Amino acid sequence: MSDKEKFEVDGNGEPMSYSNGMPPDWRFGGGGHGGNLVNSSLGLVSIGNSMNIDREDLIGSSSCSSASMVDSFSPNFWDHSANSQNLGFCDINGSSSNTIGIRKDGFGFGRGGHDHGTLEVGWNQANSMMMKGDGFLQNVQGVFPQSLSQFPTDSGFIERAARFSCFGGGNFGDVVNSYGIPQSMAMYAGTIHGARDGHAGIGLKVGIGGQSQERDDPKVVEGTKGVSLSVEQLATRGSPLKNDKSESRAVSQDDGRKALVRNVNDSDRGESGDDDVRGDGQEGSPMLEGTTSGEPSIKGLNSKKRKRSGQDPDNDKADGARELQSEGAKDNAENQQKGDQTKDSGKNAKQGSQTSDPPKEEYIHVRARRGQATNSHSLAERVRREKISERMKFLQELVPGCSKVTGKAVMLDEIINYVQSLQRQVEFLSMKLATVNPRLDFNIEGLLAKDILHQRPGPSSALGFPLEMSMNFPPLHPSQPGMIQSVMANMTNPSDILRRTIHPQLTPLTGGFKEPSQMPDVWEDELHNVVHMSFATTAPSTSQDVDGTAAANQMKVEL
Amino acid sequence: MRNLSSLKKEFLRKWIKGLRKYNSQKKNMNLLERKKAIKLSADLAMASTKDKTTLWRKALFANTSTKIDDEQDMSTTSSTPQKKVIRKNSTNSYPLRKRITGRRKILRRNHTKERVEASFIAMRLVKKRTRKLKSLLPGGKFMDDSCLVDETLDYIESLKAQVEVMRCLVTSSELFINQP
Repeated sequence: MSDKEKFEVDGNGEPMSYSNGMPPDWRFGGGGHGGNLVNSSLGLVSIGNSMNIDREDLIGSSSCSSASMVDSFSPNFWDHSANSQNLGFCDINGSSSNTIGIRKDGFGFGRGGHDHGTLEVGWNQANSMMMKGDGFLQNVQGVFPQSLSQFPTDSGFIERAARFSCFGGGNFGDVVNSYGIPQSMAMYAGTIHGARDGHAGIGLKVGIGGQSQERDDPKVVEGTKGVSLSVEQLATRGSPLKNDKSESRAVSQDDGRKALVRNVNDSDRGESGDDDVRGDGQEGSPMLEGTTSGEPSIKGLNSKKRKRSGQDPDNDKADGARELQSEGAKDNAENQQKGDQTKDSGKNAKQGSQTSDPPKEEYIHVRARRGQATNSHSLAERVRREKISERMKFLQELVPGCSKVTGKAVMLDEIINYVQSLQRQVEFLSMKLATVNPRLDFNIEGLLAKDILHQRPGPSSALGFPLEMSMNFPPLHPSQPGMIQSVMANMTNPSDILRRTIHPQLTPLTGGFKEPSQMPDVWEDELHNVVHMSFATTAPSTSQDVDGTAAANQMKVEL
Repeated sequence: MRNLSSLKKEFLRKWIKGLRKYNSQKKNMNLLERKKAIKLSADLAMASTKDKTTLWRKALFANTSTKIDDEQDMSTTSSTPQKKVIRKNSTNSYPLRKRITGRRKILRRNHTKERVEASFIAMRLVKKRTRKLKSLLPGGKFMDDSCLVDETLDYIESLKAQVEVMRCLVTSSELFINQP
């Protein structure tokens, strides 16, 4: 069952180990550029989950972006960003120190990757945007000398990521708009400083996802298209949760960061520097803790991310394979389920963000956001519930007496009763077999021979036994040991069929017992060729159920 | 519906094999032992039918393996003191678990805020029942909800086949006895 795969979540996390900082390109079908659409779809799907967003993806995508541009106009960005602070995002708690730290960390983070570009430019923009701080320029420049492998541990960075995850946020458009020009500039700029590039690229991609304004720029366009397309696909497929999730993530820092990572990854860029990966992971942890130091939390977060990233591959691969089909949503829901267990802020965040839903829904068309019951926390959960109810329908057919029942609780009750009764029957029958058979030697041949040849007509049971089961008796006579099992099985079949047709509950053993004994008489009375022949020979050549049933049907008609 | 008759055939075949093995191992088993042997071999046979990848089958294998070990320990007349110690340890753990679960239950009752909305009540009912179902199913406590439903489907089907085969065997055995 596919569900089983979900169990081995942690096992899949291996390729995502943060320590390696490996580029999660494999996730995106190798290389960021080629499979943009797929990547974005993958990323978007995972956004919805928010549980499985893999930071490495973010890093990878950021690093994939061309390494040019950002540097030259980074100062421009920051000046610009300082002006455009009118973001309706969730409040950013980053203090000035945080912003500074974020700046530093972000740059150190971006440094590691080789291919930085628009991603980083955008990221920088986002940073400045979120930070509401001044003097970024100075901070930024101070950051560059930092070591490449240094991990940004600033919670502000994480908050930024969280904010970015709010795709539907109205201010996103503002941000993008404000950055439109600089973004395009960034695209065509020269070499990019590693750290900045990463940030800018990320922010850019995120902004682009919100609006498809950067169509001119090839890279940006790719990311945008992919992102928005995938988002829309997701939305139309009934995964509006993604959008909501992304919004809620802003509040739930960890999730938000993950969504951001996902978004960035969607945009493209398969490669990811080791440092980027590490940086992202480290940034995430402080975000969780809400502290700038975040060192001790990093490990915890990394472990969490590892777990979720382990879930990610399942999601990503599945989604990529199925192109955002509902299955993908369901897989997300599955992973979501697991993620929900690990974190608890999602629900609150979602509820909080629902009220502040941005009016624009350009990419994610949520099916019933406001109309949903207040207790259904997330769309992923709804998908999961639908999946479960779909399975319950199968159970309804299996469990007798459940077809008229509606509602999970009652049906579960019936199922429980049925399973209990079946288990009790097994116990009872095993006890009975133990009493009947003092030596535990089930002599099938002897049993069958007695059954067939020496059946005495018992008191006629008032049951209208279908004769089809009787047909199996002649073939039951064992001629060769090899046929014993099949014969026995055939013997059991008639009784089973009988019981099944009559009623599913435990028929009295005597009734069952009588049934076989009556058949031979009936056959002899009917003088059906096949029956008579098979019965008389006592050495059936074949004991095929098909033959038996065919003859049985004829018998049925005659009787 | 899957092929019930093939399932039954396979089950019966394996069950008879297991029973014969059991029979060869020990002579003169009393009623309860025989019943245990029958049930055990039936469970194992059922668990080994079809694809063995379902959770409940694996759990059933695990459980029966421990049961067999226990049985072997208990059945050996000359049980070494080591085995006795092992048995004692296994039995001692139970009261502890009960105590812990009892405390947890009490704690939960104090903490949980009872909400009166219909949806919450329904959710609680469903949760209670899923917990019960999980306890019924072998290896159920490790499953999540959606997997649980799948597993119960499979389990019910196998149980049905098992019950039917056993019933037929019982009747045929009775016939055999009545007409020696």
